[in-house]
Amino acid sequence: MNQPHEGENWIERAQALLDESAENLDAATLSRLNRARQAALAQRRGLPRRWAWSAALAGAAVALFGVAVGLHHRFDAPGAPAAAPLQAGDIDYLTSDDDALDLYENLDFYAWLEKQGGDPRG
Amino acid sequence: MATQICLMTPFDDGRAARHASEDSRALEDFMRGVERRALRMAEFATGNRDEALDLVQDAMFAFVRNYGSHSGAEWPPLFWRVLDSRLNDWHRRQRVRGRWWFRPGDASGDDDVLSAAPDLREPGPFGRMADGEASAALESALRDLPMRQRQAFLLRLWEGLDVADAATAMRCSEGSVKTHLSRALANLRRALEAHR
Repeated sequence: MNQPHEGENWIERAQALLDESAENLDAATLSRLNRARQAALAQRRGLPRRWAWSAALAGAAVALFGVAVGLHHRFDAPGAPAAAPLQAGDIDYLTSDDDALDLYENLDFYAWLEKQGGDPRG
Repeated sequence: MATQICLMTPFDDGRAARHASEDSRALEDFMRGVERRALRMAEFATGNRDEALDLVQDAMFAFVRNYGSHSGAEWPPLFWRVLDSRLNDWHRRQRVRGRWWFRPGDASGDDDVLSAAPDLREPGPFGRMADGEASAALESALRDLPMRQRQAFLLRLWEGLDVADAATAMRCSEGSVKTHLSRALANLRRALEAHR
């Protein structure tokens, strides 16, 4: 690390004295330096956590895609009741009423009921 | 398709995590290697250990945040550059807060004339001082140097940066580094001789 300069011995002695002063720091100071270093590096350790979040989001997207494909195949299966085309009013109904959740959860039942000629909403 | 995506993500994530872990270890080794000298350097600039510790901690945070992802070969000049910037900011704040405080050497020491070339037959400016006395004299002389001269001396002759890296760390030209170092050597020699 230290380089001789201009052949001057006093510079080499100054380097040695500085090295010694850095080596002989007290324990409390070394502890603070260690904690400062660890705290600074902790920022960097946050990176893998971001990767984990990305992986989790990718996994969730894949799972959602799988559910969507599964539902699509289920309703397209031979013998399954054909779904009526969605009307504009249906969207309002789905988003504005608590019954919408009930309808969504029992979609098969209501499709069957409609095929029987009954009124799905009673 | 969905299965392939699910298999690839943990694999890539694991490899990235392993690389990040190796980089973090190298970065920690580098910082452990320079932190003591960084503290001493900050202490020469501030004259106060607590302030020096705060500045070094601040520099460590900024260095990891801004340059931690750079290659290891680039770290030394970048770390000293970050610390040098913190020391300059501290120095500027002190000047604004207490313009009436006189610190020898802070004013326009860069205008000093270079001293004559050293005579190698002499024992040098430390003379025959004992280590404790010589150490105190050196610290006092370093504190009294103008900041740029002190940084040039410490970065070039203690930290061992070459002229180009010292210029990067100090954000100045290589010619300026050489000039600051020559003046620092002349001023240190004169100050140390006065202690004998």
